[in-house]
Amino acid sequence: MSAVLRLLLHRLGISLIVLIGVSMLIFSIARIIPGDPARIALGPNATVEQITKLRGEMNLDAPLPVQYGFFLADISRGDLGTSLYTNRPVTQDIAQFLPATLELVFLAGAIMVAVGLPLGILAARYRGRWPDHFVRVLALLTVSAPGFVWAVILMLLFAFYLPLFPIAGRLSDIYEIERTTGFLTIDTLLAGNFAAFKDAVHHLILPAVALSLSGIGQAARLTRANMVETYDKPYIEMAQAYGFHPSRIARSYAFKPSLIPSLTIIGLDFAVMLGNAFLVEAVFAWPGLSRYGVAVILRKDLNAIMGTVLVIAVTFLIVNIIVDLLIAFLNPRIRYSTRGTS
Amino acid sequence: MIRTLRILAGNPLSLLGLLLVCLITLAAILAPWIAPFPTHNGAVVDFLNNNRPPSAQNWMGTDLVGRDIFSRILFAYQISLTLGVVVLAIATPIGTIIGLLAGYLGGWTEMILMRIVDVFLSIPPLVLAIAMMGVLEPTLTNAMLAVTAMWWPWYARLVYSIARGEREEGYVLAAEVIGAGATHIAFREILPNCLPAIITKMTLDMGFVIIIASSLSFLGLGVQPPTADLGSMVAEGARYLPDSWWLTIFPGLAILIAVFGFNLLGDGLRDVLGEDE
Amino acid sequence: MSILDIKNLNLAFKTLTGQVDVLHGIDLNIAAGEKVALVGESGSGKSVTARVVLGLLQETRSARINGSVVFDGQDINAMPARKRAALRGTKMSMIFQDPTSSLNPMFTVGNQFTEVLRRRDHKLSKMASHDRATKLLEEVAIPDPARVLGSYAFQLSGGMNQRVMIAMALANRPKLLLADEPGTALDVSVQAQTVSLMRDLVEENGTSVLFISHNLGVVREFADRVYVIYRGRIVEDGPTAALFANPLHAYTRALMSAVPRITGAGLPEVPEVSDDFLAARVSHTEAS
Repeated sequence: MSAVLRLLLHRLGISLIVLIGVSMLIFSIARIIPGDPARIALGPNATVEQITKLRGEMNLDAPLPVQYGFFLADISRGDLGTSLYTNRPVTQDIAQFLPATLELVFLAGAIMVAVGLPLGILAARYRGRWPDHFVRVLALLTVSAPGFVWAVILMLLFAFYLPLFPIAGRLSDIYEIERTTGFLTIDTLLAGNFAAFKDAVHHLILPAVALSLSGIGQAARLTRANMVETYDKPYIEMAQAYGFHPSRIARSYAFKPSLIPSLTIIGLDFAVMLGNAFLVEAVFAWPGLSRYGVAVILRKDLNAIMGTVLVIAVTFLIVNIIVDLLIAFLNPRIRYSTRGTS
Repeated sequence: MIRTLRILAGNPLSLLGLLLVCLITLAAILAPWIAPFPTHNGAVVDFLNNNRPPSAQNWMGTDLVGRDIFSRILFAYQISLTLGVVVLAIATPIGTIIGLLAGYLGGWTEMILMRIVDVFLSIPPLVLAIAMMGVLEPTLTNAMLAVTAMWWPWYARLVYSIARGEREEGYVLAAEVIGAGATHIAFREILPNCLPAIITKMTLDMGFVIIIASSLSFLGLGVQPPTADLGSMVAEGARYLPDSWWLTIFPGLAILIAVFGFNLLGDGLRDVLGEDE
Repeated sequence: MSILDIKNLNLAFKTLTGQVDVLHGIDLNIAAGEKVALVGESGSGKSVTARVVLGLLQETRSARINGSVVFDGQDINAMPARKRAALRGTKMSMIFQDPTSSLNPMFTVGNQFTEVLRRRDHKLSKMASHDRATKLLEEVAIPDPARVLGSYAFQLSGGMNQRVMIAMALANRPKLLLADEPGTALDVSVQAQTVSLMRDLVEENGTSVLFISHNLGVVREFADRVYVIYRGRIVEDGPTAALFANPLHAYTRALMSAVPRITGAGLPEVPEVSDDFLAARVSHTEAS
């Protein structure tokens, strides 16, 4: 068995344990509410009969461990219950709203990597000099405001004062696109409608930038810190002793070994973005999972709340497994750790 | 301590951070006395002066019911800082003790505690807090509770990673050889080595707690009106962009400046105390 | 004629608390094809001397350097950084203490070889570089060059990496080779083997060597001439045989009588510090 495959199985095993833990945590949160979940769900005008009926449907009269068992059995079948808000299966609601959020988060993640890592490299290459100080202040500034503040500032500057980008939504009303994947950038291309694709990207940019800003700061600082550590390694002095160009040393010899510890944290930043998407989506009226989440939370729609949190946790676990595999693939030490034992 | 302060003061950025933190703390404490309109923290209505742009009388303009935004920002700082201090005062000791136990004792204790920590860390912090606020009533106390519940695992992980390293160090072995108890070793020998990292993280986290708390109230899940809160002020004003820009921009900048201050200070502390991320 | 001529080299580092003087007027000379050793304890300034010659410390902003370091007719201290960098890896190169950690863990040996060879021939193709690297590895008695070129440093033994380092250092046929305690991280027999291999190769190519070491046994085997350095000053110098036969300076004597530690790979420990160690420099003439 190859090292990478073994790592994958190991990570899947750990993720499963964590996932069971997450389900317990979500279940406990749902059950710590003071008051009767059925009454909360039905609102103040519900009759006693209605409440008793719903309590029966939700198995609320069974002991807690039994209730958890039902919950676990349901989610393992892919059944997250019915949303009391939309009266539809929660899975169906999530399937509708998740792609919009993922599209936003993926683009924001890409911007974070594409801008944050080069800034970090620049700071490390010129450490102690002005580019380093500049990146440091920039990074500290970007992580110093929540996503919604950046969203409001960007919207004011680049949608109102300089009308470069649309103010809200995912797509202009003039385009009718069949939702195959839910990712509009993909769906528009599938439909062969290039104008709609451009319009979808145009809508994506401002929210994605707002979402990525704090991540850019984090990624830049982290890359710089790891690279400065790498610069003390003997192989960097060796590269210098051979007269390699300092930029080449920075981009290749110092950056590549530093990328591996950075990647783990970049995976964590992805989690932070999933949370921050709640804030940015609210400002840009982005029809994603977060708006759904806030709507169901305000209505105390328990099934939908639990389902939303669970789906976000799963998404995050999947991203982390991908990051771990990427690290294994990038790091020759792991890639070749089982030479000859296959 | 004195030495740390002196080195901090030598770095202009850290000094700026220290000044911002002191200024904001003072402004929050003295808000009832220095705010131009001390009554505007609550349910005051002045429709004659509502939705006014910044002027000599209202430096940052007035909100939709005529309250002075500058005064409300000063009071909102009280809420933000109180929340930050309370959350960290509870989350830090809990996380530290759990991290110490897992890191020093090892074995099953380590296995179980760190898996629990993993579970908490595998849900985006804001999402967890939002979910908790979803089932709890939106009040300041509950917001503190929700943020604390998602914060302690980060300290557990930080202290754990240091404690696990220290477990193998000579001085710990020496203490074990002379028969010191586990509690003594964990708290008297290992804990002091974690303190610089904890202090740095607490400074940086003051900023992040302010961000998370303002995010909760931005979504309507935190402190409720009419109490002044930076997050809900931005949320209220966002609907009136771009015309009434002062409704959102000033509270937004207020968050930015406060958090920036804590970040500059924390970053400087990290340099002085030599702690990495 | 001399390939390296250091005159009155002073080096200091600026720190937060003030200036720390490291070298106090070093004079050192290496003739073409000559193997010269610089011997001293750790912290004596021998490693920084090599880094000044290589032009690395000139790029460090905290370093204050004075004096002349004439390499191949040009003063390294006086030339612009770009010209210094052009000399590195082509006309002079260096071998480091720990071969395994001096090779980048993210690149194969072959990859790093190509980079080194391209220092001299920018347009060298991958194929040509592979062929050239194979020949160079054969020169250092590596039995299976193709496998080594495809491997990462952590997959090879320390002795193997040391040979790779020697082959790389001599790949572009430099005029001067700086060797900073080569192989100290390896065990004694491997170290001895690689040092004698290095001696054969530099003699064959007529490369001048500045060999930095604290191991007197190795120095005696390797060097034509020896400089002894103590606290940033040359205290004694002369032909190897003469210096070992008749050490005149108090510090040199102390260094020679110090018993190597059993655990520390032959690291001598000078037990006590004496005022005599600060006595004036002694030079052996060729005749003595």
